[in-house]
Amino acid sequence: MTGRQRWITAVILLVVGTAAPLITQRDHGVVRDEVVYMNAGTAYARWWGDLFRGKGAATTEQITAHFGGKQVTDHNSEHPPLMKTLFGISEAVVSRFGGGQQHKVTAYRIPTALFFGLLLVMVFLFGASVWGWTEGVLAALLLLLMPRLLFHAGLATFDAPMVTVWTAALFAYYKSLERPWLWGALFGVAFGLALATKHNAVILPAAILVHWSWVLVRETRSRRAADTERGLGTALWRALLRRGPLTVPAMVVIGPLVLVALWPWLWFDTAHHVSRWIGFHLHHVDYNFEYLGQNWNHPPFPWHVAIVTTLFTVPTVTLVAGAIGAVQLIARARAGIASQPERAPALLLFLSAGVAMGPFLLRTTPIFGASKHWLPAMPTITLYAGVGLVVAVRLAVDRLARVGLLKRVERARPIAIAAVAVLVCTASAFETVDAQPYALTHYTALAGGAPGGADLGMNRQFWGYSAVGVLPFLDRVAAHSDEPLPVYSHDASMAWGVWMREGLLSRKLPDAGHEESGVRRSKLAIVIHELHFNRHDYMIWRDYGTVQPVYVLTTDGVPIVSVYARRGVISSTATRHPR
Amino acid sequence: MSTARAVPDDSPQPGWRRYRPLAGAIPALLLVLVAIWEVVAVARAGSDVPADGDWERASAAVRARHQAGDLIVFAPEWIDPVGRLHLGDLIPVAMAGRMDAARYGRIWELSARGGRAPETRGLEPSWQQSFGALRVRLFERTPAVVLTDFVAAFAPGMARGPAAESLQEVGFEPHRCVLARPRPGGTVEVRYPAAELGRTLVGYVGLADVFTRRDDREPARLEVSVGGVTVADVVAGNDAGWVRFQAATAPGTAEVVFRASAGPNARNRLVCFAAEAHQ
Repeated sequence: MTGRQRWITAVILLVVGTAAPLITQRDHGVVRDEVVYMNAGTAYARWWGDLFRGKGAATTEQITAHFGGKQVTDHNSEHPPLMKTLFGISEAVVSRFGGGQQHKVTAYRIPTALFFGLLLVMVFLFGASVWGWTEGVLAALLLLLMPRLLFHAGLATFDAPMVTVWTAALFAYYKSLERPWLWGALFGVAFGLALATKHNAVILPAAILVHWSWVLVRETRSRRAADTERGLGTALWRALLRRGPLTVPAMVVIGPLVLVALWPWLWFDTAHHVSRWIGFHLHHVDYNFEYLGQNWNHPPFPWHVAIVTTLFTVPTVTLVAGAIGAVQLIARARAGIASQPERAPALLLFLSAGVAMGPFLLRTTPIFGASKHWLPAMPTITLYAGVGLVVAVRLAVDRLARVGLLKRVERARPIAIAAVAVLVCTASAFETVDAQPYALTHYTALAGGAPGGADLGMNRQFWGYSAVGVLPFLDRVAAHSDEPLPVYSHDASMAWGVWMREGLLSRKLPDAGHEESGVRRSKLAIVIHELHFNRHDYMIWRDYGTVQPVYVLTTDGVPIVSVYARRGVISSTATRHPR
Repeated sequence: MSTARAVPDDSPQPGWRRYRPLAGAIPALLLVLVAIWEVVAVARAGSDVPADGDWERASAAVRARHQAGDLIVFAPEWIDPVGRLHLGDLIPVAMAGRMDAARYGRIWELSARGGRAPETRGLEPSWQQSFGALRVRLFERTPAVVLTDFVAAFAPGMARGPAAESLQEVGFEPHRCVLARPRPGGTVEVRYPAAELGRTLVGYVGLADVFTRRDDREPARLEVSVGGVTVADVVAGNDAGWVRFQAATAPGTAEVVFRASAGPNARNRLVCFAAEAHQ
């Protein structure tokens, strides 16, 4: 493959990877956390603007007013600022160029989509440089065709961008094992960006340190074998200089400096603010989450959550290809024919996935975010899958030739790889398309789709975003009413104002408020179906005197949102959502 | 010393052995088969979930045979909202929040994907018909005769401590119950001075509200006494759901007392109980 071909491929992946989530997100509801991040992002972007315009922003008071406060959740100071700042800048830029209210949410989401495009590029470049162009392209495409990752890539949240910066740090570290100084420094910067994106970056060094130790031991051994005169200390020192001398400084110095530089809230009372940030996540309240038919809201959690959820949310064909790739990579390592053995790329990917998922094996880590919390493991799966597919097809072609069933092996091989790749990508694409726009309700064919997930008692959804699907119905109801119809919106209440601003919701449908008093004030009520939200149904039944919803939004037949109306608000029973 | 060297055997392999190398094609074949299976499975996803037309025909059939007081249930549980959309007007709130199904002699079950409601377990249908992906079955049996419904009979003056009749979430199900709120280490007593009893007292107790169950980890206790004699002493744990208890009673009239107590560290214990005296 020429350098030109490589860069053309990278540009195509960047465009496709950025465009795909921007297209699919148009049907996504606004998730609860996004509203917080959008508001914080706008404040952060404004502060940076003031700083660069010399408007006296760099004072403790101004920084506190934009980034912090007395409470840990003030101005969302429990989360680092990188993505929020980019969301805010993106929105400001789009607004300046004429983006109306209707496009505000999309404007906030552009950075995540762009990061997703960059992720595909990085995965491709890594796969191509280690195993080959085909493996790299396949890994990137299978990553694009992961239903839940694509969903998160269309949100103004941190989980998909975290995959990008985690992977960037991982690959920069990998490059630093060959070109230690430049890439070592870049590794530090990438790690800092990861820290500035989400707190789970703090576990990445576990993967790096184990891998680096392995590389150093191997390098030291080979140096001693080559030159038995030198002592262990000398060999180790030379190995250290050759293989990532900046590895530790990057993680201990450069990364934290980048974090502090990007987060003005850490420019004063740094230790206190850092401990408040980390402490918030160490003592995070356990949200409710359904898993295998049970509601979990306190430890010990099941140790297998990450494994089973991955099995049920990543396309099965990708997992099978990944498993074949893993077996092959182990076999190659054992046979001493692994690619770039001195840097052990397959081991690095394995450790990355292990560290991303590892905390969920401990039984104490809250499971409420499901797969989004271990998304950094996904590039490992798809890179293994790229290798697995190519190896499996090559082997098949060779064996068919050996028994005389195939001639012209050299010609048949690429055709066969392309054919199987198309088939595998088609299967993943089916899953991904089927998952839209309610990807958190979607489970793969292995689980039996959304109905199978419901049968298994897997979490139906979270974040309240699917309420967007009942807005057209509510608007139709409002159109026939002369008076305001307050809506009890419970988990969608934070998005309510956004949808109203975007023109998706009539002004005649204000949010009625919270809990019992909100139900009492309401004329209409929605329930977003999660196991622990059943209580909202019962509050409404009690107050409305009926158990009969007037509308039920479903996906693949699985109920996701019910709408209730107080008696007299609707004269005829409405129809369900066609899908 | 002579050595024997292995000589490649170029002679044609007999029969199937010739194709032994094809075992190496299994991973690729597996990928192809899984990909095809996944495409078909995704394309068919939801095809065995009842469509609107199935629901409409099924609910028309139920309405044609429905009698006042018939219980209607749905299985699997997750189709319940769609079921209530079509037949919810035949399900009063009190029925949806029932203690259990014992008092219902006729039960309609609308099920999909082979689901079976716990209320019909062990019963044989007296009538059934399928409507597309939806199966409707009618079960008939001799219902329990309820002499006293302790929730319906509750009046605020009976309680020593905060208690009220309510519909609550217990174990993620709706239950109409007497909701007692004992203080930390305290007890709420609900006294029925002259309850009509039969041969059995059946009841349930559980902790209401998922958030208080999460935040207060201490269980609650319900003690039931009839004529001054304790007949049931039940512990309701945070993850225990709706816990059944049963006691033999002498037919006649007697004082029945329910005592709901919370542990010393349970700041917001919501003890939800219901009971019926069966003939």
